[in-house]
Amino acid sequence: MKLETKLTLFNTLSKLVIVILFVLLLPSVIKIINKQFIDTKLRKQKDKLLNIIKNTNKDYVYTSYTPLREEYYTLDADSTTEMLDTIRNEKRKIEGDTIQYRILSYNFMKGQQKYLLEIGKSVDTIGETTPLLQNIAFYILIGMVLLTILADQVYTNYVLRPLNLIIKTKLIGRKFPNFGSYREVKTSTSDFQYLDISIHKMVETIEQTFQKEREFISNASHEIMTPISILQSKIENMFEQEDIADELKVRLLEMQKILNRLKSITKTLLLISQIENEQFIKEDKIPVTTMLNEVYEEISIRLQDKNINCEIEVPDSWVFVHVNKFLLFNLFFNLVNNAIKYNRESGDIKIAGTPENNTFIISVIDTGIGIDAVDMPYLFDRFKKFRQSLQQDSFGLGLPIVKSIAAFHQIEMEVTSEKGTGTTFKLIFPQRLIEIT
Amino acid sequence: MNVLIVEDEKALAQEVEIFLTNYSYKCEVCYNGKSASEKIAVNLYDFILIDLGLPDYEGLDLLREAKKTNIEAACIILTARAEVNDRITGLDLGADDYLAKPFSLLELHSRMQAITRRKFGLKHHLVELNDFSINLTDRTISYQNNIINTITKKEFDLIAYLILHKNRTLTRMQLSEHIWGSIVNNDYDSNYIDAHIKNIRKKLNVYGQPDWLETVRGLGYKIKINA
Repeated sequence: MKLETKLTLFNTLSKLVIVILFVLLLPSVIKIINKQFIDTKLRKQKDKLLNIIKNTNKDYVYTSYTPLREEYYTLDADSTTEMLDTIRNEKRKIEGDTIQYRILSYNFMKGQQKYLLEIGKSVDTIGETTPLLQNIAFYILIGMVLLTILADQVYTNYVLRPLNLIIKTKLIGRKFPNFGSYREVKTSTSDFQYLDISIHKMVETIEQTFQKEREFISNASHEIMTPISILQSKIENMFEQEDIADELKVRLLEMQKILNRLKSITKTLLLISQIENEQFIKEDKIPVTTMLNEVYEEISIRLQDKNINCEIEVPDSWVFVHVNKFLLFNLFFNLVNNAIKYNRESGDIKIAGTPENNTFIISVIDTGIGIDAVDMPYLFDRFKKFRQSLQQDSFGLGLPIVKSIAAFHQIEMEVTSEKGTGTTFKLIFPQRLIEIT
Repeated sequence: MNVLIVEDEKALAQEVEIFLTNYSYKCEVCYNGKSASEKIAVNLYDFILIDLGLPDYEGLDLLREAKKTNIEAACIILTARAEVNDRITGLDLGADDYLAKPFSLLELHSRMQAITRRKFGLKHHLVELNDFSINLTDRTISYQNNIINTITKKEFDLIAYLILHKNRTLTRMQLSEHIWGSIVNNDYDSNYIDAHIKNIRKKLNVYGQPDWLETVRGLGYKIKINA
C-alpha cells in the first residue's frame, strides 16, 4: 500500500473513531454540564435569598412557585436536628401534581430558630435544552472533522509529492545502472532531500564502478591483443619452416589451440564491453528468416555432426528493423550452438516465431539435457560453468554475449527448462524491432 | 611486390616481415610513424600495412598521406583497437582492408591476394588439379568441364584458402579461424574442419579421386600443386 493511502486511511479512521466516541459520550457530557450549571445557579440563588433574609425582619415562612411550576422556593422553620446543605433530585407534590425537581436544601439558624430553605428547578426544564445542544455540538464536530480530513489530505499530498516524484522518476522504470544525469527533486523536506541525494550518490557510485569495470575489460583486452598477435605470428611462422619435426609441430598446434582459446575469451570480453558501451549502430534491416537461414548455414556442420534436425518456423513476412545484424546473428548463433551442444544425439531444435500481445516471440527450443533449477539464476553469469557442461569445450561466455546483445536491443528473454527434456529460450521482441511486410 | 610494414611492436613487425618475405614479397619495416611518413613520401609501394596505434603518429593521418603520395598502393589497416568507428573511418579514408589484431598471417596474405586479384582484374583465376579445375574468381569447381554444384560456400572457402597457401600444411586452427573468425563464439572446437573436409571428399569422389587434398596427420590439411 502506498504511504499516501496509508496516511489518508489512518486520518479518516482516527477521526471516525473520535466522532463515534463523541457521539456516544455527548448525552452524558451535556447532562453533567447541565447539572453543574443548574447547581451553580441554585447556589447563587440561595446566596441571594439568604442575603435578603438577613436584611429583613419579616416572617420567615415563605413559599412561592412560578405559574408553570418550573421553579419553586420554600422557607420554613425546621425542627430536625441535622444541618442540610445538599442538592438532589426529588419529587414534590404541588397542587396535586407530582413533579421531579432538582432541589437545593439548606438549613440555617436565625436567632434560636432553625430554618430550612429549599430551591427547586423542574428537571423537565433542565432537560429541555439538551437535544438542541447535542445537535449543535454534533454538527459542529462533523464539520470540523470533515475540514481537518480535507486539510490533512491536501497537506499530505503536498508534502509527499517530492517522494512520489523521486519514486516515479528515479526508481520506477529506470534501467539499472543507466540513470542519466542528476535532476534535483525540489522539496523543503530535508528527509526527502537526503533521500534524493543519497539515491543519486549510490547510483553514481554504482555507475562509476560499472564504467570502471567496462573500461578495465576494454583496456585489458586491447593490451592483451598485441602479445597474442605476436605469439600467433611466431607460431604460424614456425609452421612454415621445413626443418621442424612433425612431433614438434603437433605441440605447436597445441599451443595454437590454447592461444586461440585465449584469443576467443579476450575477443568475447571485448565484444561484451563494446556492446555495453553502446558502440554499435542499430540501423540494419533484414528478414528474420534470411538471418536464421544464415545462422543455419553457418552451423549446419555442427547439426550434421550430431545428426540433429533443425526446423525454422518463423513467418516469412517478419523483418528485423533497427537492429545490428552482426550482433543479432551472434545472438542466434550462440543460442542455436548451445541448443546443439547440450542436445542429445539425433535430437531436435525448433526455432519458432509467434506474435503475442503486441510483441513478437522467437523461441529456440531444444530436446537437450536441460538446466538444473539451482543453476538457473547463474545462467547468464560470465565464466560460470555448470557440472553438466564441463565435458563441453566452452568457457562460459556464450550466454553472457546473448544477454548483452539482447539487452542492447531491449529484447526480453525467458528461459524455461526441464531436466532431461529440453530447454526453451524465448526472445520477446518489442514491436519496433520487427516489421511485417 | 613492395610492402611497407608500419608497426611499432617490433616483434610483430618482424614476424610479418619474415612471413611475407617467405611468400616472395619485398618488405620494408618502420617502427614509428615519422620514418614511415618519410618512406611513403619517397618510395612507391604496392602494399602499405599500417598499425593505427602508433605512439608518435595518428595512424589515420598516415593513411591520408599514403593515399595522397602512393595512389597505387593498397592500404591495409592493422589495429588492436577493434572500435567500430575506426573501421568505418579507415575504410572511408580509402583503406582497402582492415584486420583486427590478433590476426592470422595467412589471413593477411589471403586479403593481400584478394586485393591483387581485384586490382589486376584477373577474370579467370583458374587452378588445375588433375581433372578438377577450380575458378577462384567465379568460385566454382568443375570436373572435366562439368560444374560441380554440390559444394557449399563454406566448403569452397576451405578449398580456396588451401589453394592460396598451396603446398603448405594449414592447421585446423588456422582453417577454422578463416571460416568462423568473424563469429564471436563460445567454444574453441576446431574439429568441425574434419567434418567439412570429409564432406568435400565425399562430394568430389563422385567425380574423381581428389588426391591433391592431403591430410597431414595430427596437424591439418594441405593441397599439393606441382608447378
